[in-house]
Amino acid sequence: MSRQASGLMAWVIQRATAVYLALFLSYLLIQLAFNAPVDHAALVAWVSHPVVALGLVLFVPLLLAHAWVGIRDVLLDYVHVLGLRIGLLTLFAFVFIASGLWAFKAIITAGLQG
Amino acid sequence: MKISVYRYNPDTDTKPRMQDYEVKTFQGMMLRDALLEVKKQDESFSFRHSCGEGVCGSDGVNVNGRNVLACITPITELKEPIQVRPFPGRPVIRDLVVDMTQFYEQYRAVKPYLVRKDPLPEQEILQSPEERDKLDGLYECILCGCCSTACPSFWWNPEKFHGPAALLQSWRFLADSRDQATEERLDALDGPYKLFRCHSIMNCVEVCPKGLNPTRAIGKIKDLMLDKGV
Amino acid sequence: MQTTRPVFLDLWRIKLPIPAVVSILHRISGVLMLLAIPLAAILFHQALSGPAGFEQVAGILGFWLVKLILLILAWSLLHHLFAGIRYLLLDLGLGLDRPAARQSAWTALIAAVVVLVIGGVLAL
Repeated sequence: MSRQASGLMAWVIQRATAVYLALFLSYLLIQLAFNAPVDHAALVAWVSHPVVALGLVLFVPLLLAHAWVGIRDVLLDYVHVLGLRIGLLTLFAFVFIASGLWAFKAIITAGLQG
Repeated sequence: MKISVYRYNPDTDTKPRMQDYEVKTFQGMMLRDALLEVKKQDESFSFRHSCGEGVCGSDGVNVNGRNVLACITPITELKEPIQVRPFPGRPVIRDLVVDMTQFYEQYRAVKPYLVRKDPLPEQEILQSPEERDKLDGLYECILCGCCSTACPSFWWNPEKFHGPAALLQSWRFLADSRDQATEERLDALDGPYKLFRCHSIMNCVEVCPKGLNPTRAIGKIKDLMLDKGV
Repeated sequence: MQTTRPVFLDLWRIKLPIPAVVSILHRISGVLMLLAIPLAAILFHQALSGPAGFEQVAGILGFWLVKLILLILAWSLLHHLFAGIRYLLLDLGLGLDRPAARQSAWTALIAAVVVLVIGGVLAL
């Protein structure tokens, strides 16, 4: 991340992703609270619905970008030992990327089943 | 009235402590008057003060957990027991006297003066009334430090984050029609720390004894960055 | 500058105005949710892996301790959502004056709890 990108861009990314996340998570929350899939078939049908699938495919990277800027802000504020800060930033980056790929795999598999 | 004061003498104390004093109150008494009364009872007690009317910005202290100017804080507004401590996050030199060097360094870093590239004219540089109005709510800052020392982001990164007071002044010069260093000022503010440690916590707005709004000024700097950069 | 001088920074003695309370809760709720991201990804993948996997995840989510965690995460999401909307409005220059900022902070704080309770009652 360039110096230019690390201040203003991170701030803009945080706000832009927030708008999508607010809308999609509201939908997810309502869906899961009141109309949760009752079995595997229902879950696959829901996830592989084109609109939901598209929403999820967009949701995963935007959520991870938002979470990344957020945890980076937290670590920049509180963790002042450089090695520890870089170590934690790397750890979170790896965990986030792995989580994202794992979620993508699940979405694609569901799409193939549905 | 009982008043409890933070005491630390670098020559004799290894740790700070709180000391209680009994002070007689009077009509219209300010916190500064109470501290002066403490000083009368105990000459070893130190605190900064000067004008006594909220103009010089010397007697900022933390009373009952809130940063105020002692000279314009009526005693009647304070809940007893009154506990007076130095500004949070600053190294204590003695009693309520703190080292504000870092705060002034951050102020210096935003180049708090007009920068002209054109040759200076013979007369003063004129401003329209509208241009002058843009400086209202900015020039009134007395640099007392109540805001920056109430800001968590400044507690964690005082050497990297400019803090609300310095950023208010940064905007004061960015907003000035006579200044010609907009790009340089904005470039100097980029990166994750100097400006962007601000998370709109708004403790600065809560405590400013002049009723100024650093959060709004910081927002305007961000708007200008977006305008120039995106 | 190296110094051995004491520093007053006893956080429990410093008053947190209500906007600051909302701010620190915004941060805490955000961290709680991002710690749940890898677990959510694993459970999501498992639930989609097949009928057996779905039943397994449903069983895990039915466990009372997990339900408690889900409740905390639901509050986290709601608080983060309402406080987040407040921050977006502040960024747009809305509600920056002290009384408005306090009022919107209270609103975000209370709205998250109210929606959590109403949603909880309706969903059960």
